[in-house]
Amino acid sequence: MGCSSSVPDRNVGRIGGLNPENGGPNDAKNLKVKLVVLGSSGVGKSCIVLRFVRGQFDPTSKVTVGASFLSQTIALQDSTTVKFEIWDTAGQERYAALAPLYYRGAAVAIVVYDITNPESFAKAQYWIKELLKHGSPEIVMALVGNKADLHEKREVPVQDGIDCAEKNGMFFIETSAKTSDNINQLFEEIAKRLPRPDSS
Amino acid sequence: MPSDSSSDNDDQNPNAIPSPNSDSMDLSLDAIENQLESISMTSQAETRSSNQEEEQLTIANGLLNEESRSEVVDEFEEELSNSNSKAELSSEVIMSSSSVWRYNNLEAEEAEAPSSPSSSGYAGERGSSNGTTSVADEDINDDSIRESGNPGGSSSQEQWVPRERDLNEDDASISWRKRKKHFFILSHSGKPIYARYGDEHKLAGFSATLQAIISFVENGGDRVKVVRAGKHQVVFLVKGPIYLVCISCTEEPYESLRGQLELLYGQMILILTKSLNRCFEKNPKFDMTPLLGGTDAVFSSLIHSFGWNPATFLHAYTCLPLAHATRQTAGAILQDITDSGILFAILMCRHKVISLCGAQKASLHPDDMLLLSNFVMSSESFRTSESFSPICLPRYNPMAFLYAYVHYFDVDTYLILLTTSSDAFYHLKDCRIRIEDVLLKSNVLSEVQRSMLDGGMHVEDLPIDPASRTGTMFSHPGQPRPATDSPDRIGDAFFGVGGPAGLWHFIYRSIYLDQYVSSEFSSPINSLRQKKRLFRAYQKLYASMHDKGIGPHKTQFRRDENYVLLCWVTEDFELYAAFDPLADKALAIKTCNRVCQWIKDVENENFLLGASPFSW
Repeated sequence: MGCSSSVPDRNVGRIGGLNPENGGPNDAKNLKVKLVVLGSSGVGKSCIVLRFVRGQFDPTSKVTVGASFLSQTIALQDSTTVKFEIWDTAGQERYAALAPLYYRGAAVAIVVYDITNPESFAKAQYWIKELLKHGSPEIVMALVGNKADLHEKREVPVQDGIDCAEKNGMFFIETSAKTSDNINQLFEEIAKRLPRPDSS
Repeated sequence: MPSDSSSDNDDQNPNAIPSPNSDSMDLSLDAIENQLESISMTSQAETRSSNQEEEQLTIANGLLNEESRSEVVDEFEEELSNSNSKAELSSEVIMSSSSVWRYNNLEAEEAEAPSSPSSSGYAGERGSSNGTTSVADEDINDDSIRESGNPGGSSSQEQWVPRERDLNEDDASISWRKRKKHFFILSHSGKPIYARYGDEHKLAGFSATLQAIISFVENGGDRVKVVRAGKHQVVFLVKGPIYLVCISCTEEPYESLRGQLELLYGQMILILTKSLNRCFEKNPKFDMTPLLGGTDAVFSSLIHSFGWNPATFLHAYTCLPLAHATRQTAGAILQDITDSGILFAILMCRHKVISLCGAQKASLHPDDMLLLSNFVMSSESFRTSESFSPICLPRYNPMAFLYAYVHYFDVDTYLILLTTSSDAFYHLKDCRIRIEDVLLKSNVLSEVQRSMLDGGMHVEDLPIDPASRTGTMFSHPGQPRPATDSPDRIGDAFFGVGGPAGLWHFIYRSIYLDQYVSSEFSSPINSLRQKKRLFRAYQKLYASMHDKGIGPHKTQFRRDENYVLLCWVTEDFELYAAFDPLADKALAIKTCNRVCQWIKDVENENFLLGASPFSW
């Protein structure tokens, strides 16, 4: 499993889009962030989210329609809590035009590809470009190579993922929603990288 | 695991239902052809047997009366020839101009028009070369397909379990050709968009053939509506750049199949809007399959519902039976939130409505409700978490997307909130929390679960009023008897013994309310096969009552070897009732009057009243 890094801490941006109206002020100890998951269909976006939120894995693929909304709170070692409000988007082409609705104002974006599918890696790079161009400038981005348990069928080398992430100032990790490998690490690492509001 | 395709079993195997005249039908394809020829038009195409009687009824004083005259229709007196020769097959092509082309030799015709080098049309039509009839062949093979493909086979009608399509099938596979009912969507350039069976891409040649037929006729300044060939009907529907085709040997009327194609098109519009036409304006060879990625289950579940859901041909929706106060509680909170800028709020339990509410002047078409609930129920991801998705209501505005918030309260009960604003998610989520609060506090959700178990109207509960035996048709307004008053019944486990006067089942459709109520199935309509046969009988009855050529009709009394079917259409309602085939006609008519009275007595429980400006 590769793990690489870079993004310096920045401020959380909240601009328009599908953002909670009554979000309430983030205090230094209790963060609430909007997180969007992007990637082509069938890479396991929903599986990652459901593994993280409910600890479940359902091998029967259920195609996401539009976008699903879930939330999960985690506690960090420094006793801060982070509540993720997760937009798990549909990977289908027809929903691509709607993506800005979900990533606009997001503090975190997770771009997922399937390590056994080079096309999904190419699509991931498309999403990264899109986010750099139209996402909030302070967005924390993670590149995730999923289905790491299928290493015999691997077609995207770890190094390609690391290189791509480094080039774009992202955090990189390979996960398996099936075995639960690195799922919690992914979200914990994101939480650590979140910009903290100034405590007054 | 319940099989998803008990109805598909039927589709593949219609001859397994024994009927007195099925032997004669199986004798030869010629016999079938003769039958087809002797039937003037689609509406008459029921499988009539010579013992069937059809009688005229008239209406007097708003009541259903029996007229003394009756006639026995004997269209099939002419002897069915028993030749095994396949060369005599004829087929007809019906165009919108109603001209009928006849071919006396299907083989020759097939060799000409519909066959392409890669696809040679229907082998099943032509019989096998070794001299046995193809019908018999199909019987045997279908049984084996059914048994290997669908073990189990006893699922509830409404249960539909998505399954993987056999993508190895294509138009060259025997199994593919044996399918009883195919649906295709293709583009005007002949590119496949959707196929019920097999892999669309492998069916490119077949799609091109269908496209060629359509454009050949269009080039002649006409439009092809249906091609009949042997037992098969090929029904065409052209919607701008989208072509829809159904190939069926299920003996459903043309009007029904065409209606199903309309719904299939509507389902596609619901997913993509009609602006998909623009893609074809820019590029006629546009490949639409990627745009419909992941929606296979939506289409196959809709097609499955063509075999069990009366809403697919009645163009009406049905409500979950609930105490009036319970439904009002649900309606009030929905009304409350629609006032805050929501277009439609719909609370449903499976395919039945608990309550619904629309913004002022916004009205929801029953077909849109059918397509929307089918979309939500067949997309598994909605059950996992609350969702927000663009959808289009084709009858409301086929050009624009609305945004749907979908949330399941329990495994059957879900809420759909529709809005025009793409930013409204958090507002809709708040609305849902408010609604959920009210529903929980007032026990609506547990009432819903109870109603699911109790079921709706049971024909055994039809109030028997002695006064009705004395010659007057109208029974007195009997004591209201709530449909839910049957605590000893546990859902599907209960099967009654049939109602009075041999009443087996009924469907009542209120025209003003756009709603229907259907009685629970009762003995002897127990098995899925019997339910589906009754469903198809109703479907034919509906089509014949609404036939524009020979209708509209007011009443129909039809007796065949399976049922007595009685249909009564007034300005306010349509009643379809099925009786024991030996039922007495006068008694059956009396019983129908009682059913209508009964439905009025319990309308508060079975209909959503006040949902439309009309009230009866």
